[in-house]
Amino acid sequence: MAETVISVNGVTKRFSGHVAVQDLSLSIPRGGIFGLLGPNGAGKSTTIRMIMNIIVPDEGRVDLFGSKAGARDQSGRIGFLPEERGLYKKMKVLDHLIFLAETKGLSRRAGRDKAVEWLRRLDLSDWTNKKVEDLSKGMQQKVQFIGTLLHDPELVILDEPFSGLDPVNSRVMREVVVEVARTGRTVLFSTHIMEHAEQMCDRIAIIAHGKKVVDGGLAEIKREFGGKHVNLTFSRDGDRAAPVLADRRLVGRVEDRGASAEVELAPGGDPDALLAELVRAGVGLSRFEVAEASLQSIFIAKVGADGARPYAVTEES
Amino acid sequence: MGKILAVVRREFVERVRTKAFILGTILGPVFFGALAILPSLILTRQSSGQRIVVVDGAPGDFGARVEQVLAAAQNRQSQEATYAPIRIAASGRVQDVVDSLVPLTGVSKKQNANALDGLLILDEGAVTTGKLRYFGKNVGSMEDMRELRTNLTPVLVSERLSAVGVDPGVAMKASTPVNLETRKVTEGRLTEESGASTFILAYAMGIILYMALVLYGTQVMTSVIEEKSNRIVEVLVSSLTPFQMMLGKVLGVGLVSLLQLGIWVSALFVFQKYQAQIVGLFGVSAASGGGMASMLPSMDPMLIVVFLLFFVLGFLFYSSAYAAIGSMVNTVQEAQQLQTPVVVLTLAGWFSGFALLRDPTSTYAQVASLIPPLAPFVVPVRYSIARIPLPELLLYILAMVAGLVLIVWLTSRIYRVGILMYGKQASLKDMWRWIRTA
Repeated sequence: MAETVISVNGVTKRFSGHVAVQDLSLSIPRGGIFGLLGPNGAGKSTTIRMIMNIIVPDEGRVDLFGSKAGARDQSGRIGFLPEERGLYKKMKVLDHLIFLAETKGLSRRAGRDKAVEWLRRLDLSDWTNKKVEDLSKGMQQKVQFIGTLLHDPELVILDEPFSGLDPVNSRVMREVVVEVARTGRTVLFSTHIMEHAEQMCDRIAIIAHGKKVVDGGLAEIKREFGGKHVNLTFSRDGDRAAPVLADRRLVGRVEDRGASAEVELAPGGDPDALLAELVRAGVGLSRFEVAEASLQSIFIAKVGADGARPYAVTEES
Repeated sequence: MGKILAVVRREFVERVRTKAFILGTILGPVFFGALAILPSLILTRQSSGQRIVVVDGAPGDFGARVEQVLAAAQNRQSQEATYAPIRIAASGRVQDVVDSLVPLTGVSKKQNANALDGLLILDEGAVTTGKLRYFGKNVGSMEDMRELRTNLTPVLVSERLSAVGVDPGVAMKASTPVNLETRKVTEGRLTEESGASTFILAYAMGIILYMALVLYGTQVMTSVIEEKSNRIVEVLVSSLTPFQMMLGKVLGVGLVSLLQLGIWVSALFVFQKYQAQIVGLFGVSAASGGGMASMLPSMDPMLIVVFLLFFVLGFLFYSSAYAAIGSMVNTVQEAQQLQTPVVVLTLAGWFSGFALLRDPTSTYAQVASLIPPLAPFVVPVRYSIARIPLPELLLYILAMVAGLVLIVWLTSRIYRVGILMYGKQASLKDMWRWIRTA
């Protein structure tokens, strides 16, 4: 087993009236991309803030790089993008990045070189001497993203990094994250968008109501979840598929997405038989694919519709 | 250490670049300049050759003497005649004469060659009652009115004396008023400062201290609130300790305030040194402007040291309090309420400074010098009036530093928790809990 970079041991955090994170343990090895998944209000941000030592857990402990020193004392090795983005609006982009580099312990010169390089890489060179407030929201996010990676951190922690981005920028950032992981560094990011996690992560943990539901390598999780899955996309007469998919001898569970569906076959169910039934019913198919369970269906199966509902915050009386 | 420097540099550079700073820095000296020049302009222009009609309704030669005395009065600075009086005998028809002259009074001399500056009305019972009336455009000028009163009193007194048989010449001489010239003595050395300029100096220092502490303290506070509301604080706190953030901010803003004060004080020195020339540029002769030299205070180096030292200590004291307040709230509006105790303290300091002007060595002055929130105001003001012996001064500095350490300890604990609290505004109870938690 590779060296553990982040070790979260039995951490609990209570806020007035509710438990945000309960007895959570995570072990994140060096290298690769780790996805922290969960519905809104599951405790992802609270967990990340405890890892970053911004808030202190009520119980339990977080070790980074096998040391108790805390994230701040090792901040030169860590890049952090908080969920709430924030920059000094009146500062010029380059000045801002140099300042962020300095707070990570880089010299001004090194910070400037890195910032210029990154601005070029993310197509922001023309904005170097503009004020932050003159940038679009997407560009500001990119600038903050640069600020996170500027000092070549070994560990990159990103809280909902792709939310609020248009598809183009979202893709650019995902490519950068993959690139970072490829150089042997560790990335931890939280998201509630399963597709991103499925495409990028080597390992994931799903949390709901502040508790861990699933944890491990993505491939093992899918294998363990098991079952034979079929992805369908209808080209016409999708409604005729309904009686076939309701046949319990063939189909165990269906996730109906309208124009497409993900089907988990019943134990002993045969994909060929399903295809034959669908054709007989007169359903037009543009895709029929035998596959592993998608992360989305695993997530819904494990967390359930109930898990997506956040706790009601009850005020302390 | 390097990280604190980064924060200090950011605060300093970003602030010095703002329009508000540049404007304030330039406007300060312009304001001082106006303060130095305007009075000269006003004094010399207004107080020479005033055309005053003496509407004489009094019996005897009282009116004639008034005219005589006014005609002889000279402006002490320019040696020019203060008045150009014209006497109109109006016994029994005072009101008619006044009515006919009022339309000429206060109009521009270009408009009407006969324009008047004022009417001095001597009613029938003027000598007995001492009640004289003056209608003029310059009644708002305390200087002019005092001058007029000073000139008229001896005439009235001598008139009354001669009525009981005293020789008019003797009576006139006997009623010459006291002319008190004041000069300040410091440690056995006669200075060029007059009593008025000592007061002005103390007053100016009080205002500058108060303005700078409140202005820049509030800047520290709003900038903490800004960092909180745009959430940059989460990025910063992951690589800086809250103490580094607070110290860096306070020092950065402090340096900006010192730079601005430095520029202002230097401008003041330049004005003082080249005052005659500067006033001359505005068409006022150096001699007539010269009287102003004593109005602009001369500051000796030791006073500047004491002033700056207590300014710095006071700034650190108040701005850490402001930083803590900023950390406890989410908006500037919420801060208003929490700010009140600090504002009250600065006001108390300012007023204490004034209370001292009367008696700088009173027990109150000595006690106030030992109280850290008041000392930044009280000690420099005291020092400007009367030198404080060195051992005593050191004691005050020590007390101030001790108070500063205490307040920084308290406020940094509040700040540390406060900057990451969102939503509910912190109560005093919360604050106390934050201070106690390690």
